[in-house]
Amino acid sequence: MKYVDEFRDAELGRALSTRIVAAVEPGRHYKIMEVCGGHTHTIYKYGVDDLLPENVELVHGPGCPVCVIPMGRVDDGIAVARRSEVIFTCFGDMMRVPGGEGTLLDAKAGGADVRMVYSPLDALRLARENPERDVVFFAVGFETTAPSTALTLMRAKAEGIENFFVYCNHVTIVPPLRALLESPDLRLDGFVGPGHVSTVVGARPFEFVPADYGKPVVISGFEPLDLLQSVHMVLRQLAEGRCEVENQYTRVVPYDGNPRALEVLADVFELRPHFEWRGLGFISHSGLKLRDAYADLDAELRYAVPGVRVADPKACQCGEVLKGVIKPWECKVFGTACTPERPIGTCMVSSEGACAAYYNYGRFARERAVV
Amino acid sequence: MSCDEHHCVTCGDEAVALRVNEVRADGTALCEGVEVMTELVSPVRQGDLLLVHAGVALTRAPQ
Repeated sequence: MKYVDEFRDAELGRALSTRIVAAVEPGRHYKIMEVCGGHTHTIYKYGVDDLLPENVELVHGPGCPVCVIPMGRVDDGIAVARRSEVIFTCFGDMMRVPGGEGTLLDAKAGGADVRMVYSPLDALRLARENPERDVVFFAVGFETTAPSTALTLMRAKAEGIENFFVYCNHVTIVPPLRALLESPDLRLDGFVGPGHVSTVVGARPFEFVPADYGKPVVISGFEPLDLLQSVHMVLRQLAEGRCEVENQYTRVVPYDGNPRALEVLADVFELRPHFEWRGLGFISHSGLKLRDAYADLDAELRYAVPGVRVADPKACQCGEVLKGVIKPWECKVFGTACTPERPIGTCMVSSEGACAAYYNYGRFARERAVV
Repeated sequence: MSCDEHHCVTCGDEAVALRVNEVRADGTALCEGVEVMTELVSPVRQGDLLLVHAGVALTRAPQ
């Protein structure tokens, strides 16, 4: 398939690997963070890190949308889902994210009407088909997913549908990056920037990273050769003393994003003063809420959600994994008490979470290394 | 193109290239069996290749 096969070509991969080796300075240790969960998944699935020299370390950032949802927000969602008048809808992975009192899957087993949907449009269809019920959509995700929620809300409004509500947990990518860069316990040399988020926001919002923090950013595609090339581009910037935003994913990402998508987001959402991130705490202006014009479709206003705050389980080290301070297997419960079948932390839920990705694809390589 | 027990394309911020089979009057398109909102890339025509995430076309995929 065009744009797939050539980006998985083993020969080209080996050639890129050789160029990466040539670009690194012997004796220097490089830490490069990939921000997007999709990148983490590709790295482990295809063994991209096995093609890198030992002194180039990939650190997995907070770009998995379900991994950053705090337990309290899940509990609030479950409280809404348990209402008898509600059909509660969410994406697949969200069903298994643990709150303080179980998951949405547990709530479904307990009798709540929880249904998995592929898009908010599916939830809107359910609302049309079930006018006697309230249909609530648990909206999660970065700027990649938020336009879909926004357009669905606009449709609901235009059609006069009064039984469709959104429990909004959308977040934005720039504030957590800034928080990470301000973090004293994290030393990074550069970033592999998110690909599909950038189809919406473009590459320009990441210019603060080189400008304010002196770190290069390369927006990357999702195939293994995309990632190898992006790592090479970061290393080349460092070797040449350059520091800028580069776009490896030019076949999809315009430098200024999709202006129509940005307009839609601005029309429907506004920034919350603060939003809690799993493992990162409260970050200013990092979460989206519905504007007043959509207040009648806002599930948080309709049901006055409890606003639960729940501390992460003590054994779980998702926060340190999300900040790249520790590797997944260095967590005390990785692969023992915490597995994809019975996750304790969110990073073990989604296949884009660093822990689940490593558990599914990478643990065997580590076992070989230990031997 | 769907979520299953091992992988959720939506949660993964993944976008998938889909071919437009039918354009509807309400701004949606049927793309390989998936209903897709096309407002962000319109106008679209039958045969166009779109990069789709969570039921919305974010951009056009390279042909």
